[in-house]
Order: sequence, then C-alpha cells, then structure tokens
Amino acid sequence: MAGGYTGKILRIDLTNKSVSTLDSEKYQEYGGGHGMGSAVFWDLCEDKTVSGFDPKNVVTIMASPFSGTLVPAASGRTEVQGIGVQGYPIEYFTRSNFGGRFCGHMKWAGWDGFTVEGAADEPVWIDIRNGEVEFKSAEGLWGLDAVEAQEEIWRIVQNGEEKEWRELGKERTTQRPAVLTIGKAGETLSRTAALIHDAGNGAGQGGFGGVFGAKNLKAISVLGTGSVEIADPKALMDARLWSMEYAVAGHLDEDYTPLGMGSMFGGAPASGAAGYGPADQPKSPIGCLGCHKNCRARFASAASNGSSCVDYFFYHVYDQAAHGSYTQHILDATEALQRYGINSYQAEGAIIWLNNLHKEGILGPGLEIDTALDFNQLGTAEFAKQFLDMMANGYDVGEALHEGVAYAAEKWGRYEQDTASGILPLQCHGYVQHYDARTEVEWGYGSLVGDRDINEHDFNTLVFWAPSISALFGAQPACSADQLAEIMGEKLSPYNDPMMMDYSDEGIYSESMAKLVAWHRHYTRYYKQSLALCDWAWGDFFNEYGPEGRGMTGEGEPKFYKAVTGIDQSFEEGMEVGRKIWNLDRAIWILQGRDRELEVFTDYNYEVGAVPGYTTYEVPYVVPMYKDGQWVYESAVGRMLDRDKVEEWKTKFYTLEGWDPATGWPTRATLEELGLSHVADDLEAAGKLGS
Amino acid sequence: MADNDIKTTEGQGYSRRQFLIGAGGVGIGALAGGFMVKSFFLPDSVFAVPASEGYLVVDTHKCAGCASCMLACSLVHSGETSLSLSRIQVINNVFAAYGEEDSVVQEQCRQCPHPYCAEACPTGAMHADPDNGNVRTVDQAKCIGCERCIEACPFTPSRVQWDPKKRKAQKCDLCKDTPYMTEEGGVGGQQACVAVCPTRAISFVSDIPAQTDTGYQVNLRDDNVAWALLGLPTEDDGSYAPVATAAPAPTGH
Repeated sequence: MAGGYTGKILRIDLTNKSVSTLDSEKYQEYGGGHGMGSAVFWDLCEDKTVSGFDPKNVVTIMASPFSGTLVPAASGRTEVQGIGVQGYPIEYFTRSNFGGRFCGHMKWAGWDGFTVEGAADEPVWIDIRNGEVEFKSAEGLWGLDAVEAQEEIWRIVQNGEEKEWRELGKERTTQRPAVLTIGKAGETLSRTAALIHDAGNGAGQGGFGGVFGAKNLKAISVLGTGSVEIADPKALMDARLWSMEYAVAGHLDEDYTPLGMGSMFGGAPASGAAGYGPADQPKSPIGCLGCHKNCRARFASAASNGSSCVDYFFYHVYDQAAHGSYTQHILDATEALQRYGINSYQAEGAIIWLNNLHKEGILGPGLEIDTALDFNQLGTAEFAKQFLDMMANGYDVGEALHEGVAYAAEKWGRYEQDTASGILPLQCHGYVQHYDARTEVEWGYGSLVGDRDINEHDFNTLVFWAPSISALFGAQPACSADQLAEIMGEKLSPYNDPMMMDYSDEGIYSESMAKLVAWHRHYTRYYKQSLALCDWAWGDFFNEYGPEGRGMTGEGEPKFYKAVTGIDQSFEEGMEVGRKIWNLDRAIWILQGRDRELEVFTDYNYEVGAVPGYTTYEVPYVVPMYKDGQWVYESAVGRMLDRDKVEEWKTKFYTLEGWDPATGWPTRATLEELGLSHVADDLEAAGKLGS
Repeated sequence: MADNDIKTTEGQGYSRRQFLIGAGGVGIGALAGGFMVKSFFLPDSVFAVPASEGYLVVDTHKCAGCASCMLACSLVHSGETSLSLSRIQVINNVFAAYGEEDSVVQEQCRQCPHPYCAEACPTGAMHADPDNGNVRTVDQAKCIGCERCIEACPFTPSRVQWDPKKRKAQKCDLCKDTPYMTEEGGVGGQQACVAVCPTRAISFVSDIPAQTDTGYQVNLRDDNVAWALLGLPTEDDGSYAPVATAAPAPTGH
C-alpha cells in the first residue's frame, strides 16, 4: 500500500441501511478524489442516464492521498461527484468540492472515500467514528439549518465533553466531528441546494444538497483518530517548509503590496474575505486543514464566518449600492445563504436576472411576474433573507427558482429571449456565467466541453485579474505579458507553446488555445480534483517569491506526491492520468446524451459584446495578446464570439483530444491508449463510440 | 484564556489561584536551574525542578485553526500525520466570533515551573531533561503507562497525552526527539509548529510570559509588517495600526 491511502472505501447503502467496503487499491491509479470517484461511479452506477434525484444515482465523496497531511492547500479538500441536478437540459454527471477538514477525518477514520447509494425510507444521518458506522434517525435534525444541524451533531457525538480528551476505541481525541449537511434547500429537494460543512465550506455546483434530500440523508458525520501513513515524512516536512517561501506565510515580516500580485499560491491570510463587511469590524483568518494560506475569515459578529468570494458576490454590490459601503448587511445575507444551504452561484444568477426583469417592468408586485419582493429594499439583509427563503421553500418567485435559474427560465417561458439578451447570464449547460467566455476564453471553453462552470482559477488571476486591476490603478502587472508567455511556455508541458497565452481575436480560435484548454482539463482533473490541490492556490505558475518569478508547478506536485506516497511519478505522467480521467468523464456525459451539437454557448455570447458589469463582474477585461510580434496586455471589451470560428475551434480541440470531430465522442484508439478499453466497449454497445 | 482552566480535584486539593501562584514562581525554577539536577524537594516538601529554558507561546488572535501545527508535530515525531498524536492541540469552533472565548484555542504544554506531571510520575520517566534545556519530557524507556502524569496535568485537556500504539505517555519536548525532521530541534533549535505556522501565531521564547487568572497574553501581530497591511487587527482590542490598505488583491473569485 502506497503512503497516503487507507485502502478502503466505505459503501453506504441507504435503502437497506447497511454498509460494506470496497478495496480502493484497484482505483489508486487514478490518484484519489475525482479520478477515484469517476472510476467508482462507472463501476457502481448501473444506469448512468437516471435523474440525479433517482435512488439509483450514486454519489461519491472522496479524499485524496494528500488529505489529512501537511501538503499545502491540499489537506482539506473533499471531492463530491454523481449525477447532478443543475445541468440543463441534461442532468450531467458532475462534480463539486469543498474545503474544511472533512476528508482529513475520513482518512483518520480509515477511509479513502464514501459512496452514498439508494435512498432511505425516512430522514437519517450517518454517524461514523473510525470503523463504526451507524444510521441514525434525523427526526431531531430535519428542519434545522446547516449550522444548527452541525452544532446538534457535535453535541451528540461529543457527549458534552467539549474540551476533554475523549476515548474512541483505544485512541483519544479532543476534536469535534466533521459534519457534511444540508439545510432547508436540500430538504425540499431544490436543484440549487448545496452541501455545507463547518462554516463557509460548501459543495454548491451540481445541486448535491438536493440529491442528499432525495436520498433522505440529512448529514454525514465523521470523526477519525488514526493517522495517515507518510512514505517519507522528512521529505514532506522539508517540502512544506520549501513551499512556504513561495507564500505570504513565509514573508509576514516584510512589506506586502496586494496590487500586482499574481500568484494564487502566494495569497494572503483572509484575502478571500478581504474588504467585506464593515471596515472596522475585527476579523482573523480561518483556514482549511493544513493550509498555508488561510484565505477565509472569522468576524467579530460571527456572521458569514468562513465564507469567501462568491459567497459574498451574490449580494455585495447591492449592499454597497444601498449603503455606500459594505456593511453588516452583506455578512448577514451571506450567513443566511450558508444556513439555507443554497449554491451561491444560483443565488447570484437569480438576483441579477430578477433585478434585470424588475428594471424592465416585468417582475414586481402586480406585474407579469408577480412577487412580494420589494426592490426598494434590495441591498438589505432582510431582502436577501426573504429572497433566499423563497428559493429554499419554493413559494412566490421561489416556486420556479427552487428548480434553479435555467429550469425557472424554461418554466416562465423566458429562457431563449433572456439568454439571448444576456439579462439571464447562463453561459452553457444551465450554469451561471462566472468568467466571460468572450474575453477569458479558456474559462468559457473549458465549461463548454465539460459539465459545468469550471471554477478553475489556474490562469484567471494572471490573464484577467492582475492585468485588469493593474490597468484600473494605472500600474504594471507584476508579471509582464512577455514573462507570462515565457513562463507558460516552460511550464505547460507537454505542449510548451507560449502562444497558448494569446487571447487576441485570432488567438482565441487557434490550435494553441485548444492546447491550453486541453492542458487545463487534464491538469485540473488530476492534480486539483484527484490529488485535491486547492483551486485557490494551485497551479503555481508565476510567483513573486519564486526564483525569477517562477512558481512551483511542475516541480511541486511530483515532489509532494513522492513524499506522501513514495511513488516517483513525473509531472507529465500525472498529466496523462488527468487525460485518462477526463476521457472517462467524457464517456459518462456521452452516455447521458452529450454530443457536439449540445456544446454551444447561449446566444448572448455570440450576439452581445462583452462589457464590464454586463453580467457578473464590474472590472474591465484586460488580457494578454500577441500583436505585431509583441506580447501586450490589452482590453477585450466589446468582443463577442464568432459562431463559425467557435465551431472551427471545437474541431481543432476534438482532434487534439483524439475524439471524432463530427460528434465529439472519443474513439476506441484514444480510449484504449488510456487503458479504457472497457469504456470503449460500453460506448460501442450504446452506439456512441467515435469513429 | 480557555486553556488555563485548571482542574481542581479534591484529592489533589490545589486551586486555580494556588497553581498560578506556583506557576508564577519562576524563581524556584530559576534558582534550581543552576544545579543540573532533575528535581529536588524544598524544605517545605514542595517538589521543584529546574526551569525550562524554552517555552512555546501562542497568539490566539492570529490562529486560523488550520491545524498545520498539529500535522507537523505528529509528522516530525511519529512519521505520520494525526491530530490525536499531536502534542499541541487546536480546538476550533468555526461558528464562534472573533475574540470570543474558546473560538479557537491552542493547547500547548506550558513547560510548567512546577511540573505536576513530573511530580506525579512514579518512575522518573517524566522529567526535566538537563541535556535539552530542562524541557519537561518523557523517557519512554522508563514510562510504564500508568497515566498518572496525564491525570496530574492541571490543564484541560491534559497537555500530556496518550500514545495508544506505544501505550505510553508523550508530551511536547520542544522538538528534541524528532527523527523525521531535518533541522535539529529542541531548545536553540527548530520547533516544527513554529516553523510551519502560516500566520506566525506560535513563537519560541526563553522566558515564560507573565500569567494571570485569565491566562497569558502575547501579541505576535505587531511585529508583522504585513498583518496590518492585510487589514487584520494588531491590537488586542481588535483595532489595528492605521495603515492604508491598497487595492483588493487581484485574486480570483
């Protein structure tokens, strides 16, 4: 057994209230996390075309070999997969993950992952303490919000001994159990529902909270007192200390200038919550297990503890507009979001859309879409709570929005027109636009050829935020466009093509852009979602603290992998594992109905120019471009995508991936090259193998 | 401070205040420090040992609750990562407010001037190690696993803990016995928790800080240039030095 693994996956059968174990060793070639989850899902979910709400849906909740170890920004992330309920028009097999400490306790309890199968006949929660698993009635928990439910489970498991060493078998612990739960939105089977853990950790995309609700599963609690075996402990400690030199954590005694920083790994404590809430409200950092960065915050009011970025973004602009600055209202609104257990992206997209409809005189008291919401109160915590209550409980506008914004738009007969104008910012597959496909194309393309908004920031900070924010302040980004191209040419193995950074009008349709998107798909599937490196820290390309501005990516990933597992795997070998996982996922989507024709953006992407603040972000779009033989940062504002050129790009991408350009389906040769001949067999039997 | 909740047991008959008076008696330890003996009894039968030459102090206003210190502690001592085997314990209530008692507390050994753990040990296994700055530590070869030291520790939870595999007691040794750490540990060396803490919330000091009924206060914030620039409080009342914060960091969302 390699270091970092326990060797066992816990299978939880809710229908029969029974458990069994699965040997995880045969899945270790996928790394862990997502790869392991996809492979297990492939084997256990017999009918991959069922609804996400169907008891036959199999949910996997996976740790990685890095979970519960000292690998920076990797120890605390848990991967969740299964058939989601937010995908539109198909409920695609999808993924989400969350931070905190849940996966650490999974490992210390002796498990590499959980599967959740079937459905209980009454609400239950699952109490896991090391190898002991109990199904317990959730009668006393059903109806509690996501915070109350956790605190109640803490009380039950700790038996009142909050600070003492408590015995668990032969071992002892002072720790609270780690709980993954749903709030009201999950209980009512909303497609917008998230899974919530501790404070501010949520798996929102995909709507797995609603899937838990359909399975009558309120919560899973896990408390582990064991250890994670480390192949080379000394090397792991050395690597951790080496990595800290690449982060603010290693430079707290020095001056800190946020403007111009481009490194996600190098980010600062509490930076994910920086600036939200009253300026004079004291706060301190909150970190996920083993994190070197600790990007979230604990506030003096305790409201919205642990939340970050988009948890606030669903409402912060309205608070600012109403009150002139960020106030307690945004903290209280975000706290409500967490307690209801609602996916923040769904809430964000819904409020943008409703506000646009209100401005157009379509939605409001007594209007075509009648609502009790008083938009004069937009920006107050009271408005947010009323709106979230509607979403969670399915009344007023929430009757439709309970199903998520895409299905709500269909119900109101507005999907086509509102995604054409863009007042409903759904980018593709029913997911709310996060970053603009017209400007930051690697984000849009990645979502288009996948299952959901990718939410992978590897390039985002360097190609968008750093140059755009710098432009706003009249400063130069810390990493010049020249240097960016040079570094990416070095680090984006196996392609090593500097032109992958060309976001010009020509570059976004190029072969090089196809390589960038492919690299991104393969890297994230393995290193970030299977080994569980946090999206808010990795990949580390440019780093102001690194030698000549070089980050750790390419060197750091294999270093940590070898220290923990003892396996000497090159960076490129890991990328191949990512390609294998990516193709396995692709096969599942194809069985669900995916083909080339379904991989199109909504109309606004082709028909309306990108304008700052048009959909979700207010910041100008300045991106790297190669023009007249030089690398520059220039604005891409006003750009819209060309339908024909996007189609040409898709052909380039499919060809690069070894897929049939006519359908987007993988060929047998591609799948067999990756050791997925059994997947090729199943696609062929379904008549969906590429040629 | 929560981790100064002193046990008061009828049998032992000492109170929180009495302990703190004893703990404040650094002079006893200091006096004894020059004798290079493991322990001795003063005329009034007070058990005393040489003062430790090093202590860990924690600024709980900085602690993010990430438990990196715990993972590092178990890693360098035991070669595996485990919260249960960590000699420093972080207990984090993520729902509690900043500044609220018990929101996040780090429970580290205080290297007490009057080490009740050593006093209770029947074999001399728990002792002040003269070869390592008098740090209070366990000679595992002498430990018989009776757990009297664990019971005797006046703090909650006990700073002496149980290793279920070895069936012996263990405690913070300031990283002297760390077979899985490249750097030399112990007094004058590297402590894993200090080295790895991402907010620099833990520090090694040579003198134990003054203690009161509410614990001790250390401020490891005001000498961090970046801390105030990040908009994080540098003062105990939650305020921070008036440093203008620049534009928001261009990180992703």
